[in-house]
Amino acid sequence: MNPSTPNPFVVNGKKSTCMEMLQVILDGDCTSEQKEYFKQHMDKCMPCFKGYELDMAIKQLVKSKCCGDGAPSDLVEQIRITISQKIS
Amino acid sequence: MAEETQELQEQPQTHYSEKEKQEIFHGEFMPHIHSMYNFGYRLTLDGDDAKDLVQDTYLKAYRFIDSFQKGTNAKAWLFRILKNSFINDYRKKSKEPNKVDYQEVETYYNSEDVDRQITPDLRVEALRDMIGDEISNALNALDVDFRTVIILCDLEGFKYEEMAKILDIPIGTVRSRLHRARQLLKEKLSTYAKSMGYKNTSI
Repeated sequence: MNPSTPNPFVVNGKKSTCMEMLQVILDGDCTSEQKEYFKQHMDKCMPCFKGYELDMAIKQLVKSKCCGDGAPSDLVEQIRITISQKIS
Repeated sequence: MAEETQELQEQPQTHYSEKEKQEIFHGEFMPHIHSMYNFGYRLTLDGDDAKDLVQDTYLKAYRFIDSFQKGTNAKAWLFRILKNSFINDYRKKSKEPNKVDYQEVETYYNSEDVDRQITPDLRVEALRDMIGDEISNALNALDVDFRTVIILCDLEGFKYEEMAKILDIPIGTVRSRLHRARQLLKEKLSTYAKSMGYKNTSI
């Protein structure tokens, strides 16, 4: 990594910890500079690499397994009818 | 009047015509019904309660539709109403105490030792065999406040700032709560992995 590149994870003069970096990267709540920095950081930091791999796998698994089957159709229908009847 | 509805009335009001109200309701609110039901179900852990909660929320959303600003995030607005309804109408009834000490969590998150914490030993390979209800059950087993942040972030893709607004908590608390929630979820999944016969031996 170019040592002259400023660390995009320094907030108010305080460097983010690995865990803080990992979290914002995982959730995409970060800048493209931060993403790039973390990518290079992972090459040198095994705990971050492993942590990212595991956390991302869990995040994707949660997304694919916990969305349910959707709202019951009688509920959807009932709400639609109730609201449509409110037109005065 | 309940606090939440009072708050809705205190927001800037737009006076929509009946036709506009219907358009907003069916065009912007109803498309989120499946996410809303899933959120309601994950909060109450009961199909009938979830139906009541979602129906109440949608009726409330219509009643206070003048508080909704067109062009803003309808999904976040609806999720916030649902969360408040849950707290006011359901959580009081339920026996689940709010036993999380957030100050403690916050301190933990900000401590220097946090990167050296002991992470539950769980490997990606073990997750591949969790094709049944393991994940869903593990999520449901978390305390409702921890469950909520995982749902909002990982299932629904809300940003930290949106989550802070939905939950009425600072962004720092969103982050720390989310971190703690993930640690707890990992612990549960790690237990499942062990019961499925995965050993903690490293490669």
